[in-house]
Amino acid sequence: MRVPYSWLMEYLQADIGPAELARELTMGGLEVEEIQDWTSEDGKATDQVLVTSVTSNRGDLLSMVGVARHAAAVLGASWQMPQIDMGLLGEPVRGQTVAATEQVRIELANPSGCPRYCGLMMDGVQVADSPDWMAHRLDAAGMRPIANLVDCTNYVMLELGQPLHGFDYSLLQDGHIIVRSATDGEQILTLDQQWRTMTESDLLIADSAGPVAIAGVMGGADTEMSWRTTKILLESAHFDPTSIRKTRLRLGLASEASHRFERVVDPDGTLRALARVAGLLQETAGGSIIGPAADACVADVSPRTIVLRAEHCNRVLGTALSAAQMQQYLEALGFETQIEADGRLQVAVPTYRPDVEREIDLVEEVAIVHGYQKIPTTVPGRLIQSGRLTPAQKFERRARATLRAAGLNETISYSMVSQRDLDRMGYTADAPERDMLALANPGSDEQSHMRSRLLPSLLQAAEHNQHQRVESVRLYEIARVFMPVANDKLPCERLHAAGLMMGPYWSSSWNLPDESREPDFYTVKGTVEQLVGTLGVDDVSYRSSDHPTMHPGQCAEILLGDRSIGIIGKLSSTVQAEYDLDRPAYAFELDLDALIECAGLYSEYQRLPRFPAALRDLAVVVDDTTENTAEALQQTVEEAGGEYLAEVTVFDVYADAERLGEGMKSVALSLTFRRSEGTLTDEQVDQQVSAIVAHLEEKLGAQLRA
Amino acid sequence: MELTETIEQIQQEARAAVLGAADLGALEEVRVKYLGRNGTLRQQYKQLGTLAQEDRPLAGQALNKAISTLERLMEGRKSALAEQAEQQKLQAEALDVTLPGRVPAIGHQHPLLATMEEMIEIFLGLGFMVAEGPEVEDYHHSFEALNYPEYHPAMDEQDTFYVSDQVLLRSQTSTVQIRVMEQQEPPVRIIAPGRCYRRDTVDATHCHTFYQLEGLLVDKGITFADLKGTLEIFARQVFGDRCHVRFRPDFFPFTEPSAEIALSCTLCDGSGCRVCSGTGYLEVGGSGQVDPNVLAGVGYDTEKYTGYAFGVGIERFAMLRHGIDDIRLFYSGDMRFLEQF
Ligand SMILES: [Zn+2]
Repeated sequence: MRVPYSWLMEYLQADIGPAELARELTMGGLEVEEIQDWTSEDGKATDQVLVTSVTSNRGDLLSMVGVARHAAAVLGASWQMPQIDMGLLGEPVRGQTVAATEQVRIELANPSGCPRYCGLMMDGVQVADSPDWMAHRLDAAGMRPIANLVDCTNYVMLELGQPLHGFDYSLLQDGHIIVRSATDGEQILTLDQQWRTMTESDLLIADSAGPVAIAGVMGGADTEMSWRTTKILLESAHFDPTSIRKTRLRLGLASEASHRFERVVDPDGTLRALARVAGLLQETAGGSIIGPAADACVADVSPRTIVLRAEHCNRVLGTALSAAQMQQYLEALGFETQIEADGRLQVAVPTYRPDVEREIDLVEEVAIVHGYQKIPTTVPGRLIQSGRLTPAQKFERRARATLRAAGLNETISYSMVSQRDLDRMGYTADAPERDMLALANPGSDEQSHMRSRLLPSLLQAAEHNQHQRVESVRLYEIARVFMPVANDKLPCERLHAAGLMMGPYWSSSWNLPDESREPDFYTVKGTVEQLVGTLGVDDVSYRSSDHPTMHPGQCAEILLGDRSIGIIGKLSSTVQAEYDLDRPAYAFELDLDALIECAGLYSEYQRLPRFPAALRDLAVVVDDTTENTAEALQQTVEEAGGEYLAEVTVFDVYADAERLGEGMKSVALSLTFRRSEGTLTDEQVDQQVSAIVAHLEEKLGAQLRA
Repeated sequence: MELTETIEQIQQEARAAVLGAADLGALEEVRVKYLGRNGTLRQQYKQLGTLAQEDRPLAGQALNKAISTLERLMEGRKSALAEQAEQQKLQAEALDVTLPGRVPAIGHQHPLLATMEEMIEIFLGLGFMVAEGPEVEDYHHSFEALNYPEYHPAMDEQDTFYVSDQVLLRSQTSTVQIRVMEQQEPPVRIIAPGRCYRRDTVDATHCHTFYQLEGLLVDKGITFADLKGTLEIFARQVFGDRCHVRFRPDFFPFTEPSAEIALSCTLCDGSGCRVCSGTGYLEVGGSGQVDPNVLAGVGYDTEKYTGYAFGVGIERFAMLRHGIDDIRLFYSGDMRFLEQF
C-alpha cells in the first residue's frame, strides 16, 4: 500500500522523518519497500510516500489509521483517530432486518456471508471535483481522484480501512436492500460494463428487482453514482472473507475492496466509517443526511479474551521478560491487558486484529513490540546426535564423484518436459515412457509433464551446446524422475543417473591421434562400469538390446540380476540429426536408486597374494556371430578354468577376412592363474590351459591361433 | 727406422686420431685401427721378433706402454664422447614447456549443488541429519499440515503447479518437516535440501525451479533465541565473521512468531551496494517458531515441545558466492558455464 507520509502523520504523534519511520516499521513487521517522492499534477503539492508490503495476515495495516496505530506501538508514541461526529448517524437502528426510515430497509438474508450491513441515506448532494487536499491525498496514495462522491468513499477506505459503496438511490428499485446468496446463473452488469454470471456461493446485494452489486467485490452498473446523482445510499458492511475470496478467484476480479475484505475488515468499524464518509460528503458535496442509519447486524463485535502465560512466552522466545513488560507491549497495541493473581495475563484483543486468536499469537505480538533484535542469541543446548549422511545419501555423493572423475560435468535441468521431447527421441506412441505425470496448469506447452527419463534433458543440453559451437560435451545429471502409479495419487519418484558424451575427451589434445580423443561405445560403458564398481554392486551385466533412441547395433541394456535398470548406447543417426548433433554421441541412463539399494558401503579386504601368479595369453578364432560374445568366451574359459584360474580378461578383438577367413574373428584373452598356498608349476598351468582350449573348441568351435 | 721410433710415430698418429674422433662410432673405428687384433699398434708385436735379442725388452716395454697409454686415452675420450652424446640426446628431447598440458578430463561440480553441499556440511556439524521427501506432494502435506487455511490470501503467494486438486509440485521444502515428524518422535533435528517448483515467469532473477534448504529442530526448550543463534553460526560459516543476521517480523502460516532472515551484505558491509539494492541486507529466507497447530497436527505435545524452522533459497547463496548474475545459467547445461567451477 502507498502511505503518504504527511497523511499518516495526521494521526501519529511522533517526531520522526520518513526514512527513520520506514526503518522502524520494517523492523516492526510492516515492510516499507521504498520511499517515493510524489508531486501533484499541478506541481503545487509534494509528499513522500512509504510503499509498504503488507503480509496477508494483517488486513488492519491496509489503512492510514491502522499504520499509525501500529507505528505508535512500535515507536512507543501515541496516535489518534480523525475527528468523527457519530451524531450524524442519529440513533442507528439495529437488527437482522431493519427499517431505519421509510426509505431504507436492510435485510441480512445470508447472515454468515454478511453479518453486518450498515446503510445511510443522503439527499441533495452535488457532484463536483473534490477539494485539492483530498484529491492530492488520493493521488499520492495511488487512487485517481474522480469526483467528490466516489472520492469520499475511497478516502475513507484508505483512511480507516473500511471499503464503502455508494448507490444512486434514484436508480434502486426501492430502498429495500437484501444481502443474499446468488441463484445459479443469475446475471449482473458490473461497473466495468461486463455481464457476470453468478453461482450459489456468491454473495449479492440486491434490491427487490435484482442484484445491484457483487458484495465486497464490485458494484453494479445500473445503480452507479453519476454526475446527475443527488440522492445516495451509502453502504458500510462486513463480509465473510472466505465468501469474498471464492467469488473474487472465480471471477478473476480483484479490487481495493475485495483485497481488504479478504484480509478481514473490522466488524466494529462499519458505523464509524459511515459517520466519517457522511461528514466528508456534507463538507464536499453538501446535502442532508436522512437518518437514522440502518445497522443490520448479527455480528459479535466484543473483543476476544486470550490468556497469556508469561513463563510460556519466555519459554518460546528465550527471553526473561516480566509480565508487566508484556502488559506494556500489548497495551501499546491497543490490547487491554490485566495481570491476574496467578501471573497470567488476560488480554482483550480488539476486533480489528482477527489474526490474534491464540496464546502463541500474543507471544508474537510481544516479540514484535519488544523487537526481534533485542531477543538474545543462544545455541540450542541438547546436542543429542552428530549429524551424518545416511548410507543412501553417501552413495549418491559417491556416484556424483565417480561420474565427475570420469570426466562428466554435473548439470541440472528442469523436471518438466513434453511428449514432444519423447517424439524427438524416437519413442513410439505406445512407449511406456510416455506415461508421464501431466501438470494441470503447466507454465508452457514445452514443460507440460514431469519427466520419466533424464535423457530428454541431456539431449536438449547437447543441442544447446552444439548450437554454441562447444566441441566437447560431457554431461551427467543425477535427479529424480516421476512415474505415475496406478491407484496411488502420488507418483513413484526414483533417482536416476544419466550421462552424455560427444566430442573429444581431452580439453587440450594436440598431437594425439583422433581416435584416442573421441569417445565410443566402450567409453560410456566403462563409465557405467566404474559407477557400478564404486558402488560395490556385483550383480550387473550387459546385454545387447534395442532402444528407439539408440543405434541398433550399439546399444546395451544394463541388468541388475535379471532386472533391466538402464541403457547404454550410441545415439541413432535419426536422433543425432533431430538434435542437430554433428558428432557421434553416446549416452546412458540408469535407475541409480536400484544400484543404491544393493550398494556396499565398505569393501571387504582381500588378503594380498603371497605367491606369484602365472599369466598366459590365449588367442582364438571363432565365428563372428552374436552368440560368440566376449562374455560367452570368458564364461567358457571359466567353466574349464579349474580352481586356480583367478581372472580372465579380453585384450584384443579383430576381424580380418584375409588372415582369418570370412565371418571369423580373433579374440585374445589374458588368463591369470593363482594358488593361494603355493607357486604353480608350468606343467600345472599348461595342463589347465590345454583343458580350456579343448573346451573352447568343443563348445564354441574355437581354434587356437598359432 | 728403429722400431721404437715407429711405435712412437704410430702412437702420435693414434693419439691425434683419438682426440679427433667426433663420436663414439669414430672412436671405435680408431680403436679397431690401432688396438684391434689387426690394429697397427698390435701388429708391432710381430716386429719384435725381428729385433736383436737384447733390444726386445726395451722395445716390448715401449710397445706395452704405448698401448696402455692409448687405451687410457681412449677410455677418457670415450667417456667424454658418451657424455657429449647424452647431452645431445637430452637436447634433442627438450620440449616446448609452454605448450599446454593434457589436462585429465575431470568433471566439474555444479555450482548450485556445490553450494548446497557446503551448506549441508555446516548443518551436519551442528548435529542435523539430512531428510528427504517427495517433490510431487499431496495437498495435505503441502498446505493443510502446514496450517494454511484453505481460503486464505496466503495461498496466493504459493503460486503452485498442480497435477490435480490433491496433488501438486512442492513449492517449498517445508513439506518434509511434516513427513519427518509423522515418522519420528521428538527430538527432531533435520535439514531438508531439495528441488522446489513455483509458477514463476523465468527471467534473470526468477525461475520456476529452485532449490531450498529447510531446517527443523523440535525438542524441549527450543527457543526463538536458539533459532537466532543457529542462523548466526550458519551465516558466519558461509560469508565469514563479518556477516550477521537480521531478523524482522514476517508471516508464514506454519511458524509463529515468524521472521524474515536477511544477511548483512559483506560486499559493502551494510553501507548499501548494487548487489543488496542499497539496503545493506540480503533477504535469504524465512523462519520462526513452529506453530503449535503444526506440532499438534503430527501428534506432538505442544506444552512439552517447542521448535524452530527455517528455509533458505540456495540460488542466492550460489550467485553471491560466484558472482553469477543470471539464474537461468544454472539450468542451461552450457559446458562453457559448467566448466568454470
Ligand atoms: Zn551491499
